Amino acid sequence: MVDLIKRAKELIESSAVKVVIGYENGTGNRTRALFVEKTEDADKLIFDSRCIQNLAAYVTKREVKDKGKMAIAATLPVMRSIIQLASEFQVNDNNLLVLGITPESKLIEFENLVEVETFVHQYQIEIDARNKEMLDRLDNMTKAERWKFWIDELAPCFKCYACRAACPMCYCHRCTVDFNQPQWIPVPSHELGNLEWHIMRAIHLTGRCIDCDACYNACPLYIPINLLTKKMMLDAREHFGGYQPALKGEHLMSTYKPDDKENFIQ
Amino acid sequence: MSKIGVFVCHCGENISATVDCAKVAETVGNYDGVAFSVDYTYMCSDPGQNLIKSAIKEKGLTGVVVASCSPRMHEPTFRKACAEAGLNPFMCEMANLREHCSWVHDKGEATTEKAIDLVRILVEKVKYNHSLNDIKVPVTKTALVIGGGIAGIQASLDIANTGHKVILIEKDPSIGGHMSQLSETFPTLDCSQCILTPRMVEVAQHPNITLYTYAELESLEGFIGNFKAKIRKKSKSLDEKLCTGCGLCTTKCPVKKIPSEFNEGLGKRTAIYVPFPQAIPNKPVIDRINCTYYIKGKCKVCEIVCPTKAIRFDQEDEIVEAEVGAIVISTGFTVKQPDFFPEYGYGKYPDVITGLQFERLASASGPTLGEIRRPSDGKVPEKIVFLACAGSRDPAKGIPYCSKICCMYIAKHAMLYQHKVHGGKSYVFYMDIRAGGKMYEEFVRRAIEDDGVNYVRGRVSRIYEKNGKLIVSGADTLLNAMPVEIEADMVVLATAGVANEGAEELAQKLHISYDPYKFFAEAHPKLKPVETNTAGIFLAGACQAPRDIPESVAMASGAAVKVAGLFSQDELTREPIIAVVNRQAAPVYSSCVGCFLCVSACPYQAIEKEEIKNRNGEVIKSMAKVNPGLCQGCGTCVAFCRTKSIDIQGYTHEQMYTEVMALLNEY
Repeated sequence: MVDLIKRAKELIESSAVKVVIGYENGTGNRTRALFVEKTEDADKLIFDSRCIQNLAAYVTKREVKDKGKMAIAATLPVMRSIIQLASEFQVNDNNLLVLGITPESKLIEFENLVEVETFVHQYQIEIDARNKEMLDRLDNMTKAERWKFWIDELAPCFKCYACRAACPMCYCHRCTVDFNQPQWIPVPSHELGNLEWHIMRAIHLTGRCIDCDACYNACPLYIPINLLTKKMMLDAREHFGGYQPALKGEHLMSTYKPDDKENFIQ
Repeated sequence: MSKIGVFVCHCGENISATVDCAKVAETVGNYDGVAFSVDYTYMCSDPGQNLIKSAIKEKGLTGVVVASCSPRMHEPTFRKACAEAGLNPFMCEMANLREHCSWVHDKGEATTEKAIDLVRILVEKVKYNHSLNDIKVPVTKTALVIGGGIAGIQASLDIANTGHKVILIEKDPSIGGHMSQLSETFPTLDCSQCILTPRMVEVAQHPNITLYTYAELESLEGFIGNFKAKIRKKSKSLDEKLCTGCGLCTTKCPVKKIPSEFNEGLGKRTAIYVPFPQAIPNKPVIDRINCTYYIKGKCKVCEIVCPTKAIRFDQEDEIVEAEVGAIVISTGFTVKQPDFFPEYGYGKYPDVITGLQFERLASASGPTLGEIRRPSDGKVPEKIVFLACAGSRDPAKGIPYCSKICCMYIAKHAMLYQHKVHGGKSYVFYMDIRAGGKMYEEFVRRAIEDDGVNYVRGRVSRIYEKNGKLIVSGADTLLNAMPVEIEADMVVLATAGVANEGAEELAQKLHISYDPYKFFAEAHPKLKPVETNTAGIFLAGACQAPRDIPESVAMASGAAVKVAGLFSQDELTREPIIAVVNRQAAPVYSSCVGCFLCVSACPYQAIEKEEIKNRNGEVIKSMAKVNPGLCQGCGTCVAFCRTKSIDIQGYTHEQMYTEVMALLNEY
């Protein structure tokens, strides 16, 4: 990614941004996030097919945000996350510059988030064949089978909260599980505690999740928790209209409408 | 340590017949924190209340649970009793042993057990109650009345006469509404305009009323006592201050063939027009859609002839902002047009008209100067048929309700016809004659017995044209459904009264509810007929359901009293059961992350953005803030908040959690 390195250097040198967030080689064959604050660090920047971590998770972190204006090397899912974050007032043009990486691995620098939004809207959020097959399998199960599937799948979860840390939408300083007066969601990772955590996570992400799979990729136990959010995304699309994250979009699950089809709300 | 008093009410036998009240009191008396527990026949009675008051004083109670009826009935009673004894009223809770237990279960141990559970929940909750104080909000003592028909006129005058300011807005160029179109009124047959126009003039002259005609509500923000309305004054293309209302322009305007709205399309008007001679204000407006100047860019005849040079072609819509404390909606109704009825020819026969059109034909100010002449060729109809329930009471047409006014106005129409066309024959097809009202039944009998109107009980299946006559074919159900065919010269359909077009959008602008027929919904069908579910917004007249004139006027006066009552105080007192966003010490300030998803979720627009700034004026945190004047305490935001940063006062997370745990015996 010669373009990216060059642009990052320029941005840092001119003080246009204080930090550029990108990928670098990590241990083994893995990549990890790189925070370029000095021009010489920019040479470590890489981009290839291994770079699937959703870097948007960092733009809401105080440690990064407090450095000053950020630039981010953003793939399509990252850009979607950024648009959703902007619609939730977490980032804006003043604190974030998007260095977009197209699906064809080309670098485009966007003037502002409106341009990012326009770019993102050219692509529909698609679910790949393997996940689709899994969702179909779940749909075809009886309630009892599905219940058993999830009890079994979630049983090994020990609540490391890696899914939460990897998710760009889990930016709350105080998560529902951290709320302990009263402790609505039990902390222990027993059956009930695990179920409640994962159900709560899926519900809080409905209408906000952009299906980047960061949660699944982060899970050390390969629990397919992304199926929960995917299914919720599809259901939300079906019942409340298809969505793409939008800067001035209506929040799919939390917008009061006097003409709601449920008449109790009128 | 809490000292809670529990007061179990028998409600006569309402509760004690199925619940062992003494056992409830005894069991609950043993719970931690319960300092006093007693049962009594009627807690709401004076001795019952005194029991509570003396226990608060003598035992030094810190919380009270009254186990009796629904809090909807007696919560204010018991809270007041607590306050009188020196306990904060919000330290008093009610367990509903009547509606939630004794009335819905049989006598038995399980019923008593449930009663104990219900009380225990509240005992645990009350331990987490905090003293709360009522919220005071100021009141702007100006009312906004939307719609200048008879209901709006009456409401405006009544409010204005109590000494308060009123802004009356009307979307048409003149006030008067449907009543100004009517010829005579039932059941007295007095002239509609004769009784209406003095009221219209009174509105125009009243020092407390500001009248905006040709104006519509653009938007509404705020809450009871403190609304901010934006009113769009549509351009009249006229300087109203200069215009003297001489009417020269309307006589010279070359575009003369526009169907007149006032005459229900039976007469014509010009492009610059005053809807009717007694219009208030009697100043013309230019209908820009039909005016030659706005279509072709030239003409300006009105400008040339105007002696005061009052025409303003380049005038733009004006937005007026007004602060008001209360709103009366009196936007009225409309009637279904003949094209809604395929069986009656989809409106293709010009002599099949609506009741409102007949009013114009019978009116002395109408297109025929009060002579009943049919629209097609101007002949006086020798045979006329009136159809009641055209659309109304017909679930297949989506209008299952009764339009209420038709039975009476049909009798009036038939009478007027018989009075004007001597020797004419009139027929009324009806389902039932609904003439409930003072002198109403007598009026209908007069039509049948004195004026010889032929009432046929049955429905009309079809109307078609044959040899220049309208063949009305129906059945007489009083003669064993014998087919009836009448060769009529004219047919009047009493088409259903329906909600105005745009009623739904207006309701959404005002955040009030409406029924499936788009009529605005009252807060309670019996006890709150003029209130809406939104505090400070009231209803008058046919925007709520089809209404006749006496009812509309009565409703308008009722709404006016509600407004006057609201304006009688300088401040409103509201219950403090509202949402609050938590605040914490710096540098956290609040657990709110400022995603503002609650803003769009709030049905009352009660949540706004609050910015916390440092000493240099830099924003260091954005967070949600609930406006206590707007919040209705519905709790929607609480459910949506992922960080659990919002609590409803009196129903906090802690209180709700405690209640659930008490129920699960895990307290």
